[in-house]
Amino acid sequence: MTAYVIRRLLLFVPMAVGIICVTFALLLLIPGDPASVLLGQEATAEGIASLRAAMGLDDPWYIRLGRYFADLAQGDMGRSIFQNAPVSEIILGRMGATIELAAVALFLSVVVGIGLGVLAAIRQGGIVDAATMLLAQLGISMPVYWLSLLLMLWFAVNLGWLPAIGRGEPLIPAFGMMLAGNPAPFLDSLAHITLPALSLAGNSAAIISRLVRTSMLEVLREDFVRTAKAKGMRRPQVVLGHALRNALLPVLSVIGLRFGALLGGAILTETIFAWPGLGQLTIAAISQRDVPLIQGIVLIFALIYATVTLAVDLAYAAVDPRIRLR
Amino acid sequence: MTIRKSATRGVAASLVALAAAGAVQAQDSLVIGADVDAGTLDPRLSRDTTAYRVTDLIYAGLVHLSPTLEPQPDMAESWESPDPQTVIFHLREGLTFSDGSPLTAEDVVYTFETLTDPDFNAPQLTLFAPIESVEAVDELTVQFNLSAPYAPLMSYLSMGIVPSDYAESGADLSSEPIGSGPMVLSEWNRGSDIVLEASDSYWAGTPEIETVTVRIVGDNSARAQAFEAGDLDVIQSPLSPQDIQRLEEDDRFGSEIMAGLGVTYLNFNTADPLLADPEMRQAFAMLVDQETIVNDIYQGVDEVATSIILPSSWAYDESITQPTFDPAGAAEKFAELGWSDSDGDGILDKDGEPLTVILSTHSEDPNRIQAVEYTQAMMQSVGVDAQIQITDWPSFSSGYVQQGQHQIALLGWLNLTDPDRLGYAQLTTGGSQNWGGYSNETVDTALEEGRTALDQETRAEAYQTAAEVIAEELPYYIISYQGYQLFWDKDLPVEVTADPRGNFRGMIGMPETAE
Repeated sequence: MTAYVIRRLLLFVPMAVGIICVTFALLLLIPGDPASVLLGQEATAEGIASLRAAMGLDDPWYIRLGRYFADLAQGDMGRSIFQNAPVSEIILGRMGATIELAAVALFLSVVVGIGLGVLAAIRQGGIVDAATMLLAQLGISMPVYWLSLLLMLWFAVNLGWLPAIGRGEPLIPAFGMMLAGNPAPFLDSLAHITLPALSLAGNSAAIISRLVRTSMLEVLREDFVRTAKAKGMRRPQVVLGHALRNALLPVLSVIGLRFGALLGGAILTETIFAWPGLGQLTIAAISQRDVPLIQGIVLIFALIYATVTLAVDLAYAAVDPRIRLR
Repeated sequence: MTIRKSATRGVAASLVALAAAGAVQAQDSLVIGADVDAGTLDPRLSRDTTAYRVTDLIYAGLVHLSPTLEPQPDMAESWESPDPQTVIFHLREGLTFSDGSPLTAEDVVYTFETLTDPDFNAPQLTLFAPIESVEAVDELTVQFNLSAPYAPLMSYLSMGIVPSDYAESGADLSSEPIGSGPMVLSEWNRGSDIVLEASDSYWAGTPEIETVTVRIVGDNSARAQAFEAGDLDVIQSPLSPQDIQRLEEDDRFGSEIMAGLGVTYLNFNTADPLLADPEMRQAFAMLVDQETIVNDIYQGVDEVATSIILPSSWAYDESITQPTFDPAGAAEKFAELGWSDSDGDGILDKDGEPLTVILSTHSEDPNRIQAVEYTQAMMQSVGVDAQIQITDWPSFSSGYVQQGQHQIALLGWLNLTDPDRLGYAQLTTGGSQNWGGYSNETVDTALEEGRTALDQETRAEAYQTAAEVIAEELPYYIISYQGYQLFWDKDLPVEVTADPRGNFRGMIGMPETAE
C-alpha cells in the first residue's frame, strides 16, 4: 500500500515535465508577448524590443525552457511578470479560496446527486423519477455563466438574501471562531459561498444523480438484493445498506473526475462572483501572457488533480475490499 | 424617499454635518466596482484604467485635470512659460508625501527623469518624449526644457510625483506606493480589492470619505447586478448597453451619461495592396452602417462619429465628415475601380482575383464582434468576400495589428485628453503607432503644427486640416465616439462629479479640487 502510494507520487514527476512542455509550446505558438502587453497600445517598436531583451524573451526557446526547469528543480517557480512577486507566493495566497469553493461545491453535488439519484431509482417510472431526471437534464444543459447570473439576480438583487459578490473569512478559521462563541463570521462566510458553490455544483450534481440512478437500478436487480428482501430485511436497510454501497463504486471514480471539472468551472464562477481564487488569476494571467504565472497555475491544477485521483483510487479499496492496490 | 432625494441634491455641507452627527454613520466609506485589477500602483508604469484611477488618488501631479480637462494647480501653485520651449513650475510651500517626507523640486525632477529614461520602459514614454531635461532651479521651482514647443504637455502633467528618496532606497512603488495625493494605500488583495484610506497630508485637506474600496468584478453584468444588490456604491463604464438602460430608469441611483474620451474605429492597412488606394477604402467605409452599430448594437450609449476630433474638444468642427452608409454607392465605386462579377459566382473580381478582405477584432467585447459581423454581412451583400478573424486581445493587438498584418481591424483608442493623442503617433509618416503605414505630407505638417503651435486657435485649425484629409483618405474610419456612464447610490453622503476619464476624485468629498 505504502509502496503503491509512493510509486503513484513518483509518477507525477514525468507528468509534470510533460505538462510544462505542452504549456510552454502552446504559449510559444499563440501570438502576443508579455513585453507588448506590458507596454500597451501606446508602445513604440524600440520600447518593446528593449523590454523583450531585458525580460530575456529574445533567448532561444530551449534556453528559456531549460532555465525554467533549472529553477523549478530548486523549488523556484519564477516571478510573475505583471505582479512582480514570486509565483509560488501568489498561487499560495489564492489556492485556499479555490479549493474551498471546489470542495463545498463537490460536497453539495455529491449530497444532492446521490440523494436525487437514489430517490429516482427506488421510484423508477413514477412521477418523482421523471421530475428528478428532468431537473438533472436542466442541470446538465444550463451554462454555468447563465445559471450564475440568474442565481445572483434572484437571491442577491431581487430578494436581497445573499451578497452578490466577494468572499468572507476563510470557512475553517471562521468555523473555529464560531466554536469560540462568535458565529457571525462563519454565517457571513456561508452567505458568501452559497451562490458561487450552488452554481458551480449544479452541473456536477446533475451528472452524479443520473449515474447513481443507473447504477442503483442495476444493483437493485441483483440476486443478493432479492435475498436480503426475502430474509425480511427492512427496505431502507436494503437500499442504503446493501444496494447503495455497491452502486457507489462506479460513481466514486466519476466524483474524482468531477473535482477536476469543478476546478475548471471555478474559472468562470470566480470571475462572475469576484471570488478571489485561482480561476480569476488564470484569466488575468492568460490575457497578460504572464508566462511564469500561467506555468505555475497549470502545474498546481495538475498537482491538485493528480492528488484527488490518487485519493479516489485509495477510497476504492476502502469501499470495496475485493480491490487490492498493487 | 423624497426627503432623502432632496437631501442628496442639496448642499453638500448640510450632509457633511449630518454625517458628522452620526446619522448616516456607515456612509464614510465608498465601494467602487472596477473591471480589471491594477497592474501596478507606480503612476509612471500605469497602463490600465484601474491603475490610472487609483494612482490619481494616491499621488498628486504638478497639475490636476478638471472634469473638462483644464489643468488646475495641484502640487504646482503656478507656472509660466518664458519662451515656447521652457515651462517653469512653482511648487506650493510645505508639501509632504504621506510618509511625512517633504516634496520638493528634486522629486519632480526624479519623476520625470525616470519616466523619460528608455530603460525604465514607461508605457506612456512617447507622450513625454519632447521633454529634453527637467531641472530644479531651487527647492520649490522646477524648469522643463523642451526639444520643441509641445502644446499638449500640460494635459499630461497630472502624472503623479513619486518620492525620490523612497524610490531610490529600493522600495517597490508598484506594490507599496507612497504619494502626496488625497488617499493612501491600506490594503491590496491582488485580483480582489484595493483599499484606500483618507490621507491627512494632502495640501487641500482631508477627503470626507474615509475609506475607498475598489472591488474588482470582471464580468460587466455581474458588476451591474452587484451594484443593484447594494454590494457596490459606484459603477462606471465599461457596462453592457442592456444594463445601462435598466440602471438609468432606477430612481435609487444617480447617473451621469456623457461623452467619453474614446473612439471605436476601423484601422485600414494602407500598406496592403488591396487597400492602398484611398478610393478602395472609401468604398469599404460606405459599407459600415454607423447608425445601426451605434443605435442598435450599442443601444445609443455611443455617438455616431464624423472625424478624428472628439465633439467635446476645442478643435471640433462639425463640417468635417466621413463617407456615410451607402451600399449602392459602394457597389458603384467598386465597379468604377474595375471590380465586377465576371464569373457569376456572386463575388466581385478583377484580373481573375476575387475581392477578398479580412475584417478583424478582439474577442473580449461582444459588441465589437457584433459590429464586425454586421459589417461583414453588409460587405457580402454587394459581393465582397469578407472574412472575419477574431482572437483574444494580446493576439489581436500586439501579435497582429501592431505588426501591420491586418487589412481592416476594428479597435479603439482611449484617454484622448488632447487631439494630439489621436493623430501624431498614429497618422504621421513613421509614427510609432502608425500600424497601417499611412503617409501624407499635408497631414504630417498639420499634426506637427498642432503639437508645436502656441495658441489654441492655430492648433484647432491645424487639427481640422489634418482631420479633413483623414476623413477623405480614411487610414482611420471613426465609427463612434464612446460614451461614458457613471452610476452611484443616491444615499452617498457626498456630491458626485463625473469625470470623463473615470477618475475618482469627484466622489470622495474634496470640494476644494472638485471644480
